Amino acid sequence: MKVRLPDRYILIAMMLLLASTIEASEDGIGPADEQQRVYFDTDVAPILSRHGCNSSPCHGKAEGQNGFKLSVFGFDPPADYEAIVMDGRGRRVFPAAAEKSLLLTKATGVVPHGGGVRLSAKTTDYDVLRNWIESGARYIENPQKLVELRVSPDEKILAFGSEQPLRVTAVFDDGSHRDVTSLCRYRTNNEGMAEVSEEGVVKVGQSPGHVAIMAGFLDQMSIAQILIPNPHSADSPPDIQSLPTTDVNPIDNAINRRLSQLNIVASPRCDDATYLRRVSLDIIGTLPTASEARQFLDDTDPDKRVALVDTLLEREEYARYWSLKWSDLLRVDRQVLGHKDAYAYYKWIRDALATDLPVDDFARSVIAADGRLADHPAGTFFKAVPESGKRSSLLSQVFLGVRLECAECHHHPFDRISQNDYHGMRAFFEPVSIVSTSRGELVNVDGEPVAKHPRDGSDVPAHVLGQEPVGDTSDARDELARWMTSPDNPWFARNMANRLWAHFLGRGVIEPVDDLRETNPPSNPELLDVLTTILIDNSFDTKALIRSIVATEAYQRSTTPNATNERDNQNYSRATFKTMDAEVLMDAISQATDRPEKFPGHPLGIRAIDLWDSEAKHYFLNLFGRPLRKTSCECERIVETNVSQVLHVLNSGELQSKTAHPASRMSRLETSGRSAESIIEELYLTYFSRRPSAEELERVVAYFDRAESRQDAIEDLAWSLMNSQEFLFNH
Amino acid sequence: MNKRGQFCDNVSRRSFLRVGSAGAFGASWSLSGLLQQQASGFDAQTVDERSLIIVFLKGGLSTIDTFDMKPDAPAEVRGEFDPISTNVAGTQVCNHLPLVSRQMDKFSLIRSCTHTISEHGKADHYLLTGYAPTPAFKASLKPNNERPSMGAVISKKLGARGSVPSYVCLPDMHNSGGASFLGPAAAPLSINADPNDPGFTIRDVVPPMDLDASRLDNRNELLATVDRYQRSAEATVNNSLQSLNEFRERAFSLMTSAEAKQAFNIHSEPSSVRDEYGRNSLGQSCLMARRLVSAGVRCVLVSHIGWDTHLNNFQNLKNDLLPNLDAAMAMLYKDLADRGMLDSTMVLVTGEFGRTPQINDKAGRDHWGPCFTAMLGGGGVAGGQILGASDKTAAKPAERPVSPEDLAATIHHQLGINPEDEFITPEGRPIKIVNQGHVLHELV
Repeated sequence: MKVRLPDRYILIAMMLLLASTIEASEDGIGPADEQQRVYFDTDVAPILSRHGCNSSPCHGKAEGQNGFKLSVFGFDPPADYEAIVMDGRGRRVFPAAAEKSLLLTKATGVVPHGGGVRLSAKTTDYDVLRNWIESGARYIENPQKLVELRVSPDEKILAFGSEQPLRVTAVFDDGSHRDVTSLCRYRTNNEGMAEVSEEGVVKVGQSPGHVAIMAGFLDQMSIAQILIPNPHSADSPPDIQSLPTTDVNPIDNAINRRLSQLNIVASPRCDDATYLRRVSLDIIGTLPTASEARQFLDDTDPDKRVALVDTLLEREEYARYWSLKWSDLLRVDRQVLGHKDAYAYYKWIRDALATDLPVDDFARSVIAADGRLADHPAGTFFKAVPESGKRSSLLSQVFLGVRLECAECHHHPFDRISQNDYHGMRAFFEPVSIVSTSRGELVNVDGEPVAKHPRDGSDVPAHVLGQEPVGDTSDARDELARWMTSPDNPWFARNMANRLWAHFLGRGVIEPVDDLRETNPPSNPELLDVLTTILIDNSFDTKALIRSIVATEAYQRSTTPNATNERDNQNYSRATFKTMDAEVLMDAISQATDRPEKFPGHPLGIRAIDLWDSEAKHYFLNLFGRPLRKTSCECERIVETNVSQVLHVLNSGELQSKTAHPASRMSRLETSGRSAESIIEELYLTYFSRRPSAEELERVVAYFDRAESRQDAIEDLAWSLMNSQEFLFNH
Repeated sequence: MNKRGQFCDNVSRRSFLRVGSAGAFGASWSLSGLLQQQASGFDAQTVDERSLIIVFLKGGLSTIDTFDMKPDAPAEVRGEFDPISTNVAGTQVCNHLPLVSRQMDKFSLIRSCTHTISEHGKADHYLLTGYAPTPAFKASLKPNNERPSMGAVISKKLGARGSVPSYVCLPDMHNSGGASFLGPAAAPLSINADPNDPGFTIRDVVPPMDLDASRLDNRNELLATVDRYQRSAEATVNNSLQSLNEFRERAFSLMTSAEAKQAFNIHSEPSSVRDEYGRNSLGQSCLMARRLVSAGVRCVLVSHIGWDTHLNNFQNLKNDLLPNLDAAMAMLYKDLADRGMLDSTMVLVTGEFGRTPQINDKAGRDHWGPCFTAMLGGGGVAGGQILGASDKTAAKPAERPVSPEDLAATIHHQLGINPEDEFITPEGRPIKIVNQGHVLHELV
């Protein structure tokens, strides 16, 4: 049997060995030349980041990997030093024979490595690590502090398929500069449009638009903004005449300037029927009826689109539809809250929308809700989300579009948010709890707004992102609510403007909509600025911003592509096909057939958009992606189309019986004695909000003529209309 | 137990037999089949016959209480159950799996499965795709796939066999069962109904009763007239329209498939067989999986919930979960073998992770990614073997750690898919089918 020394002896021996190596180098060679000194924090640690050693699926995850744990993304160099040099019984670095160090043999794959070969022995990075180990693997902190990262070029126009190497310079507090191109980690915000290699070389794809490439080094980040125009080609020169030049309104001006830069010609205005359907679905989540469609189409007023919008904004479905959206985000979750509280909370949201409560007041009401839930149902939020950290993360994500949750455990990898910031935000909600009293449940504030830092247990006082702790106030949340919703807040108004814009145009100026950060810039900064200004100038009245948005040419465009914009998915040069919310589609089908849907636990006649309880069992709503309100991510609602949805609309007995029911619109049309033409027109208006073209009418009439019965013909047409893409999408 | 060396060239005995008979099945040779053969060392016929059934025990099966028992461990680890012998000498399983113990020769135990994710959702994604999720992963998305699931890869690489879909999820869609960038053609059909329900029928694949075939044809013709975007310029530039077109085509082929209709009709199965699988969701889903594979489906993902035994682990296991698993799993292996389908049908039974060696204060066990056992058999995988071993308390692998990548590589390899092949995403990025997985050559 082999004799084993106790581990600690080995460790002591290793440390002695290390110490002697250090002495030898200092005595023998004299003080190391400042130029050649290898700093752990600025030379060694970044190499581990660059090669993914400290990424979260590898050694960066909370429990490490095979006993070797690094701080995720290298934000804690002293801990990483400890892990490399002190832990693992000193096997990881071996100054006497640097090449034999596990740190190098594992990374180069000489010794089997679960993470594969990460580093070639022929690279500068390898040399740096080896030199560092050879010179004693010491922890020398760079006395200079990194203050800024400069990417060059920081703005550039690049052609399809081209490549552009980036150069990144680190600026230190003593004014010195250093090229850190090879030490940075890089990331693109749109993989489809441009990618970036580990060496910082940008490779452009084949679609026009704007991409940001992030470079990160230590705790600093910077971006290069790349604009990719359509090529001028000899066979399809852009039609200069139709390139937008005229001054229309600030929103369109911002978009048109960008389209000119990209050589994109926008699609023309859509027709009245398309506009009616699109704007009705977007503002009130409701399909226009046949008579509404007829009235609008026959209206000769040149300003009828504006008048239509005014009408829609006054309809009560406005508050009903938008309270569905807000209930998703603010977690009206019946399973957690129970029926009574969930309904009261929902009702508060709906009333706030019905009375046009400005969105800053709305946000403040939730963030700083106080007193009895019966008097202030907005406080139910704190019952739905009991953990302080989740409260601050969720409210930040919803109202600021800032994702804090990464920083719960480590510095945000793509933002300036530190762990301290996370816990400073959490601290606001530490004293807040829901207590039961004889007067009913109330939001109770008790104690100091302080959170414990998980690493060292120190007190982190409440403070907003990047600022000083708040002073003495009875409830620190008032301070937070004021800061969050101030017009000067760098995120609130931008986030709200961006979210609204994304709802109407199908894509945010910043995507994803709840990920605002310096390294994920707007694709069109001027556009976002304009939208933000409109919201602020109108005292956070969302309806005012909606009016501006739906009046733009950008919103009114047709879906028909042209040669210059067929690859554009980013710059609002044509209208896209948006997936309908499950609830809106269900309602549209019920309205078209004139057969209401019954939802369990709710009275007959209540519409799907009015369902305050997202748990009400319903196959259609689940199939089409109703969210369960378990997170506050907009993404919870997005569901990919799948074959089961298609099969359901094609074959479902439930949907079929709506059409065939004796009281349905179809049955009434059959017995109305109206001509085939008139019935066909009525159904086109019902499903598509438009009249059939002459050709369509002719072909459908022919179908009616040869059908076995009028009833069959009507049912078949209703089925075909319902299964059409024109009906199933909002376009 | 290490079987390396028995087939030192990595071609199983079965493949040798197959190579000789390939000529007799010349009709089924195809270019893609030939290419697959080159990649895997299997002949085209073998590849074309192969199918995969995944029985996914969502929540995480406690393998320390079932397939990797530690009778000599201290009481706070050992648990309440006792080991029993199986039909493979020297291999024991838990006393609540008597039926499974008699089928032990048909599948192998991989007792050193390991990964570092002890969180539902993320771990599910890892097991079903072979890829650990990135920090941006959103478990609540439906589906949440950052990478294609194994079923989607199989669907994409091998295509449909006959008129039935190539990939089916039972009884409901698993959130990580999606196709990711492989797109709608590789996405699963989700049944969305429990085969154990007395009135079970697969929803919506049959047009309403009163529509005869000619009426259906007429409707489709009318739909083509009415649906003006189907062949428009819009359809070529909008992914959402393209997906819908693709799914509609698949829907029509499914609706007109006699094989599919027959396979989905579980009521035509003899009552005694249904009883043997167990009259519960898991049992009937396994039976349905066998029926679907018989009809030509290449991959069936059965996801069964309820295995997250933080509370009363032992009561739940012995009273409810294990009796159902025992009947379903034993019968699935036996039934496949009796029908001569086991050689061509691989069955993987696993959870997303195992459970903690330490029993908690609620007589439960918590999530445990670092060590668990997966059960793999059929489809050319050796039976009755034990690969790898856990340490004394099943806390860590003691030898031969096996990653989800290794599992995925082995499964794809057995289906004739080269795990090293790359897909190109729509954005032009190359993504390997499996990232650094190693085929478990001891088992194949």
